[in-house]
Amino acid sequence: MAVEPILSLKNINKSYQIGGQKIEALKNVSIDIHPGDFISIVGKSGSGKSTLMHIIGLLDTPTSGQVILNGKDVSKYPEEHLAKVRNSEIGFVFQAFNLLSRATTLENVMLPLQYSNTPKKNWERKAMEMLKLVDLQERVNNKSNELSGGQRQRVAIARALVNDPSIILADEPTGNLDSKTGSEIIKKFIELNKLGKTIILVTHDNDLAKIADKVFVIKDGEFVK
Amino acid sequence: MIYELYLSAIRSLLSNKTRTFLTMLGIIIGVFAVITLIGVGEGIQNYVTKQFSSLGSNLLFVSPGKRNLRGDPGANFSSNKLDDKHVKLIETYSSDFVTGITPYIEIGKTLSYKNKNYYTVVNAFDEDGFSTYNLTLDSGRFFTRADITSNSRVVVLGSNILNELFSNQDPVGKNIKIGDKTFLIIGVAAEKGGSIDNRAYIPYTTAKSIFNIKNYSSIVMKALDSENVDSAMKRIEIALYRDLDKDEFTVLSQKDLLNSFSSILSTVTLGIGAIAAISLLVGGIGIMNIMLVTVTERTREIGLRKAVGATPNNIAIQFLIEATALSVLGGSIGIGLGILVAFLIRTYANFDATVPLWSVLLAFLFSACVGILFGTYPALKAAKKDPIEALRYE
Repeated sequence: MAVEPILSLKNINKSYQIGGQKIEALKNVSIDIHPGDFISIVGKSGSGKSTLMHIIGLLDTPTSGQVILNGKDVSKYPEEHLAKVRNSEIGFVFQAFNLLSRATTLENVMLPLQYSNTPKKNWERKAMEMLKLVDLQERVNNKSNELSGGQRQRVAIARALVNDPSIILADEPTGNLDSKTGSEIIKKFIELNKLGKTIILVTHDNDLAKIADKVFVIKDGEFVK
Repeated sequence: MIYELYLSAIRSLLSNKTRTFLTMLGIIIGVFAVITLIGVGEGIQNYVTKQFSSLGSNLLFVSPGKRNLRGDPGANFSSNKLDDKHVKLIETYSSDFVTGITPYIEIGKTLSYKNKNYYTVVNAFDEDGFSTYNLTLDSGRFFTRADITSNSRVVVLGSNILNELFSNQDPVGKNIKIGDKTFLIIGVAAEKGGSIDNRAYIPYTTAKSIFNIKNYSSIVMKALDSENVDSAMKRIEIALYRDLDKDEFTVLSQKDLLNSFSSILSTVTLGIGAIAAISLLVGGIGIMNIMLVTVTERTREIGLRKAVGATPNNIAIQFLIEATALSVLGGSIGIGLGILVAFLIRTYANFDATVPLWSVLLAFLFSACVGILFGTYPALKAAKKDPIEALRYE
């Protein structure tokens, strides 16, 4: 029996008007992502990779087509509603880490919990569990500018995991790291995938993309293989 | 969540202390000015009320001209017709309502003793004037009917003049010059507090004859019964209509004077309030300006918060709290400084400046409103940011 996908994109088109010119960023893109998948989306700059990532991450809505998340079509949800869905279903890991510099490691990890329905008394416990998972339990009270690049990205991973989302969406997660630290982070993603987490890795780097179970190459707004 | 947002607001304000302080300065100065000026205003009100009540509440005055306390005070004297005839009229027709009817002359003169000079107000009245003004003696005597009838050159000094001219030595029996005329000091009045202690008192007959004064500055008397002040005033008016037109005199009670003073003071207070409101407005614009800068600086943070689940409302509230924290903190500092200055004035200037609770609450409320009013636009701007653009922002 086939497992129901967590996320299905069906015939997604996305176009922009820039200076009176219509740009088709995505053309009829469809993809199914199943629980426990580790996939990568690879493409050059301008390929439509970022647009696709924004639609998967519910930061943007398609011009046409359906985005089905856990059986529900979320493509027409209003902004307030999408924010709630992002909070519970999507964990973002960014190239530039995007940590709050004035906040501690623990506070950074707790940030998504602020916008969730999790009772406040559970915040710290949940955040601590995630920090243990990324081996940062010793640095909970450090500010992000007191951490190394690799440590920062691990904080970001813990933050992405804290609401137990359906999908971890990593956008060039090693782009700001040296190769050694980068491979440690990739190892962390592989570990998390083994624990059952669904991971989507978005990158321009063909070699990096190969660590995923499935590789989708995007070019001119379409999957090429 | 509000608590987290509040914490994050405080943290963000603390992370840039100089900027936070400079932004708050407008509000601090505005609120400080309001609190201090209200405190001083209350002090003046208390002082004046005390001065008036020390004279007794049933004091009545007949002034020349149509009294208009907001008009040109000089206008009242150009048509001054008050003289002995009117004192007699009041005595004849109002004596069952008033007592201690005394003509009253007020002149500015320089008092000199040996090589010391002191410019002050010299009051001239008859022997009843002392009781009308509730004055008592420290030493010597008041002038008597005999002094009045004989135009004696005698003077009773207010207690402050002792300090100024006699180094606190008892001056009774010594001669003093008022203008260029020599007077014998016969008494010193007991201290009453306030400007009344600066005055010198001479018989009105003497004032008329040697300073060549024709008319009285006013006629002062006391209502027999403080309940019947209004009837007494009516009676005096009727008596004076026998000789004067209604434009040529005014009967005033202590209460009238106090009321007109209060209305002047509230006009001044209103003016000060308007200036303070402008300064708060300027402070508010400062807050809006800095909040707009903050929103731009923290674009990436806004993008991140939206990505991890913040709704536009969550973002708007966060920045609104920050703006309000700025204005309320500034307002509180202003209130604190205002209370401190009122306290210093009370302690060192011997002037009863008190900050009423309502002014503190009003200032607090007002500064919170400034924060909300001027924080709304930047907060909405933050809430509307597109998360994708915001995350890309360098």
